[in-house]
Amino acid sequence: MNMVTQSIDRFDGKLKVTGQARYSGDHSLPNLCYGYLLQSSIAKGRIQSMDVSAAQSSPGVVAIFTPFNPLKIYSPAQAGEEGMISGDVIPLLQNPTVDYFGQTIGFVVAETFEEARDAARLVKLQYQTQPAIVELQAGLGQAYAPKSVSGMGATVSVLSDGVTSIDEALRSAPVLVSATYNSPIEHHNPMEPHATTAMWNGDRLTIYDATQWVQGQQRNLAAVLGIDEANVRVLCPFVGGAFGCKGSMWMHSPLTAAAARVLNRPVKTVLTREQMYSAVGHRPSVRQTVTLGATKQGELTALKHEVYSTSSRVKFFAEAAAHRTSLALYKSPNILVTHQIVPIDFAPGTFMRAPGVAPGMFGLESAMDELAVKLGVDPVDLRLRNYATAEPVHKLPWSSKHLDECYRVGAEKFGWSRRSPEPKSTRNGDWLIGQGMATALYPAHRSHAEVKIRFQSDGNVSVSAATHDLGTGMYTVLAIVASEALGIPPERIQAVLGDSGLTVAPVAGGSQTTASVSPAVAAAADSAIKKLIATAVSGTKSPFSGMNPSDVSYANGVVQASGKSVPFEAVLAALDRSAVEGSGIASPGEEEHKYGFLSFGAQFCEVRVNEWTGEARVTRFTSVMDVGTVVSQKTARSQVIGGIVFGIGMGLLEATKVDPNSGWIANRNLAEYLVPTNADVPHIDVEFLNIPDTTFNLLGVRGIGEIGIAGVPAAIANAIFNATGIRVRDLPITPESLLVDQKGMA
Amino acid sequence: MQRKPDPLSAPCSAASEETGSSRRRFISQLAALSAGLSVVTPISRGVADTTQPTRGPDQTPEDGGFVDITLRVNGIVRKLRVDPRVTLLDALRERLDLQGTKKGCDQGACGACTVLLDGTRVVSCLTLAVMAQGKEITTIEGLAKGDELHPVQAAFVSCDGFQCGYCTPGQIMSAVGCIHEGHTKSDTQIREFMSGNICRCGAYPNIVDAIKLAVTQGKEAI
Amino acid sequence: MKAFSYKLAGSTDEATGTGTQSAFIAGGTNLVDLMKIDVMDPKELVDINQLPMRGVTLDNNGLRIGALEKMAYVAEQPDVVQHFPVISQALLKSASAQLRNMASIGGNLMQRTRCGYFRDVIMPCNKRVPGSGCPAFTGENRMHAILGVGNACCATHPSDLAVALVALDASINLQGPKGTRSIKLDDFYLLPKDTPNREHAIEPGELITGVTVPHTNWYQRSAYLKIRDRESYEFALCSAAVALDMDAFMIRDARIAAGGVGTKPWKLPEVAQALIGKRVSQATFEQAAEIAAKDAHPLSQNGFKVTLLKRTLTRALVQVGGGVA
Repeated sequence: MNMVTQSIDRFDGKLKVTGQARYSGDHSLPNLCYGYLLQSSIAKGRIQSMDVSAAQSSPGVVAIFTPFNPLKIYSPAQAGEEGMISGDVIPLLQNPTVDYFGQTIGFVVAETFEEARDAARLVKLQYQTQPAIVELQAGLGQAYAPKSVSGMGATVSVLSDGVTSIDEALRSAPVLVSATYNSPIEHHNPMEPHATTAMWNGDRLTIYDATQWVQGQQRNLAAVLGIDEANVRVLCPFVGGAFGCKGSMWMHSPLTAAAARVLNRPVKTVLTREQMYSAVGHRPSVRQTVTLGATKQGELTALKHEVYSTSSRVKFFAEAAAHRTSLALYKSPNILVTHQIVPIDFAPGTFMRAPGVAPGMFGLESAMDELAVKLGVDPVDLRLRNYATAEPVHKLPWSSKHLDECYRVGAEKFGWSRRSPEPKSTRNGDWLIGQGMATALYPAHRSHAEVKIRFQSDGNVSVSAATHDLGTGMYTVLAIVASEALGIPPERIQAVLGDSGLTVAPVAGGSQTTASVSPAVAAAADSAIKKLIATAVSGTKSPFSGMNPSDVSYANGVVQASGKSVPFEAVLAALDRSAVEGSGIASPGEEEHKYGFLSFGAQFCEVRVNEWTGEARVTRFTSVMDVGTVVSQKTARSQVIGGIVFGIGMGLLEATKVDPNSGWIANRNLAEYLVPTNADVPHIDVEFLNIPDTTFNLLGVRGIGEIGIAGVPAAIANAIFNATGIRVRDLPITPESLLVDQKGMA
Repeated sequence: MQRKPDPLSAPCSAASEETGSSRRRFISQLAALSAGLSVVTPISRGVADTTQPTRGPDQTPEDGGFVDITLRVNGIVRKLRVDPRVTLLDALRERLDLQGTKKGCDQGACGACTVLLDGTRVVSCLTLAVMAQGKEITTIEGLAKGDELHPVQAAFVSCDGFQCGYCTPGQIMSAVGCIHEGHTKSDTQIREFMSGNICRCGAYPNIVDAIKLAVTQGKEAI
Repeated sequence: MKAFSYKLAGSTDEATGTGTQSAFIAGGTNLVDLMKIDVMDPKELVDINQLPMRGVTLDNNGLRIGALEKMAYVAEQPDVVQHFPVISQALLKSASAQLRNMASIGGNLMQRTRCGYFRDVIMPCNKRVPGSGCPAFTGENRMHAILGVGNACCATHPSDLAVALVALDASINLQGPKGTRSIKLDDFYLLPKDTPNREHAIEPGELITGVTVPHTNWYQRSAYLKIRDRESYEFALCSAAVALDMDAFMIRDARIAAGGVGTKPWKLPEVAQALIGKRVSQATFEQAAEIAAKDAHPLSQNGFKVTLLKRTLTRALVQVGGGVA
């Protein structure tokens, strides 16, 4: 198929700008009541007693469920396994144990939201508390190597012939750089709080649920509610942002459904912003040490990347910062990555935009900048000197790699050649100006997907699959790909998604949706066209009746044969058929084992840092991306911009503050958990190379949802070093790190 | 297929000729989907005056008591009986089925719930419904004239000033207020005066473009 | 949020005559937020928006701002912008456009601290529950105060406007059951000492009717500098309100206060004194700024505020006075 990049407006745009797009919490139903979570106020221990009498008699209260009066929740089949079906697998509310601050320990249902909220606060609790470890530093003594990290062993080593250890290789390196980098717990904070509206009709559950995976949610809900998954329908046509925290099932969903079942009326639960800090995952805290050995010319001879990441004691999750970066980016004859888990008494972590990669690239690309400074080599040149023309571990060829072009185009657009490598050499008044760069990468994933296409007698074509649009532009992508495949303008395509009853699609995570679903759209189009032609020749009333199918062709919505051209809707009308449909599947194949698949990019950043007061602001950003074919230009550009803005947050603002004494989260709100505002974001220049990766899939598409953030915190930190001469290795980079002796006073 | 060029599309988009009747069919299809297909039909409260007591009169709480209020929303008078605790946001969303106004934080820290009160932008999560009486309340549902988008709405579509769309009603209401206030003299001023609306998808540069576009091309209609 | 009753006050007397279980509400941006999280739980809300405490006027007696005027309106009044830029700038650096459209001047001056422990009823807090303790001293205190910290509380006062007004020697006008009175805003805010629950010198039933700022020509040479992690929509890490009376390069008089560092808006008369009679130079400003932090008691996470305070003041002074003589 010949893909042409399109620059059309977002297909769901009009619904979103008029307030007509209904998200999971936007449903009013007859006899609806409201659920409200009650969360623990201690980090570890047991609930000794729970007095719900005042809450029970509070106005409007319908029911209060607690560990002493629980809703039945079964253990999910996948409990303890690694993978996307995970989430808060501890079946909460089944016993009085408290494993982390903010654990759901009660579920209040009332006639109104206000009454439920008020009643939850009237529950009187007595705890037996136990000492808790709630942060990385305190838990280092208990660190252990997990069995598996990102599908690999905790330690992965590549050594050249005759080298017995990475340390030996490092010892013989002429130039050595080694530093430790820290990043805090971060929270996704999508603007839409998780919301669930559940209703039962007999033994059938219909649930509007904020999720990145309707079919995963369907399976998980069925498992923990003890019902057949055929009796669960999950609807989620719109997701108000997710970034990973709606990829797993979290306990408020089954609790809401279970309460609706017991009470025999619909229940809606919308998490408060505060509750989201312990109920729906976070990015773990990471401590990583990167050690680089190099020749004096800047060729890496050894690369060692050692990672510690926190993980909830009750739910394993590894933030694979080294495995997903240092095993992929640079040509080094000797590489070692290690990962240690630091167990903490804290809520479960989960995937957050570019899991592993976002913190890992901060460490690796900061270290590369430190090496460039030490060697006096231009940072772009240093990266080119270590350019990996094959995948570094298994030495597989890349499916498609044009990272060198990203560096070149990015440097030119940004004006990199005019940068002074000397720190503190550029200023504007009392603002020090600096420029930095970093590489971006993200693994290209692809999963099995199935798509249905229907030619309809109204002249439109529907394309559907149980996938999602998280703001990623999937409605638009589906319509564009179907439009291209069928030769029909996008406005005649109806894209349908977000319903577990549709054909199989993977979780909208891991930047894989477009790469997985688009080839299936193309296959479905072929199938639907074949069906259309078969129908056209078989029906007696058809203009093509009795013809040999091989003599009939289809192009641009029109069926053609022996001089006749009939639009498909006319063919359907002649046959009195409402529609003809075909479906197509697409799966990754043998190529998976023959190539390395990655998306690449180059990030260039300018910052200003006030020499008096140390606040750093990003003033300019250029990003050049090698992500294969770009299907939808507008939404793709927005995705990359969004990733960069996320990266600005990670670099300069975001940190979840945990009271070391109690596990209490100090900034559980959007006033104090700082995400970027409009004023924090400059103009962002995004360029796509738009080179199809047809080895990866038919359309040459790779993902773009996550790569935008990769490298951004490092580019910012490197620019801050260029501005100030101060190397900051702890995120976020806030004024206290930059107050040091800039004015000769401290 | 007839394509109508969008008068607002030019500066943001090279090829945004995306309108027309089929597009609207697609939109209505989506609307049907989001309304739950055949599974369940959300209560449509119509547009007439509605009295919707949230519970029977015998359940008056010990403290306070329910109050009868009258709100004028998008030009329509709506009568309600509410607990004084009910915010304007929850009154709109949970009592009047105007779910376009979104709850992002419920603490005045994100701007997703922004509406206009007598033409001035405010956050509805910190506005008690009882105190919004006597004011003209404009929500995202009240901006378009029938099928014709308000210039700010059209500019947001044209410039892709959103991704997930959840903060968008608040961004748009805030942008309308920002333009009214005259705080659009420079990119820097727009950014600062739009900073009360958090967009986690990071659509900020496009939001700034959309506001500039709306100011230059849609002035008479705003 | 606890249930409450709602009353619209028809007159000031009616408002001030309400009981101690009542709270006045104007914009509600702080009160409704705190009521939702049960930090405040009045039995009755008295809506004062109909009361006549309006107007922004400038005459020889000074600038009078009605307590019910909205922050956004006051910030852009020509008299304020021209003659009291520090006030305008402090207002425009506060909160967000929406909140400034809602919040009244009186409410802004009465807003409560953003300390996370104060804002969460599951945690101890001496300000909320006297005697319950203060976990901030050994916990999360990066945003907390370094000046005016007693043994009981280290929370900062969050208002930007109050910092500008305290710097300019503004007075606050009050009306209560016993009549009207006016006191210096600096005296209106109380140090936490052993009673951090008592934040203001306000009597039960008293209502803020407005503020008065002395009319001094040289206040037009003033500025508000606010340093924060985020560029907008955030409380201050540190801020400085500075006004300088200059005769060519000589400093005749100065008014200075700092925010984000004190348990109340922090007036810095000694810094001002150190500038008087000096010729402007970076060195002069730096030396004066040193004095600001002499009584600072930094906590475990906010030691940087000592340096930041001095730098913020210096930068603001350079901005207002010029760095080179």
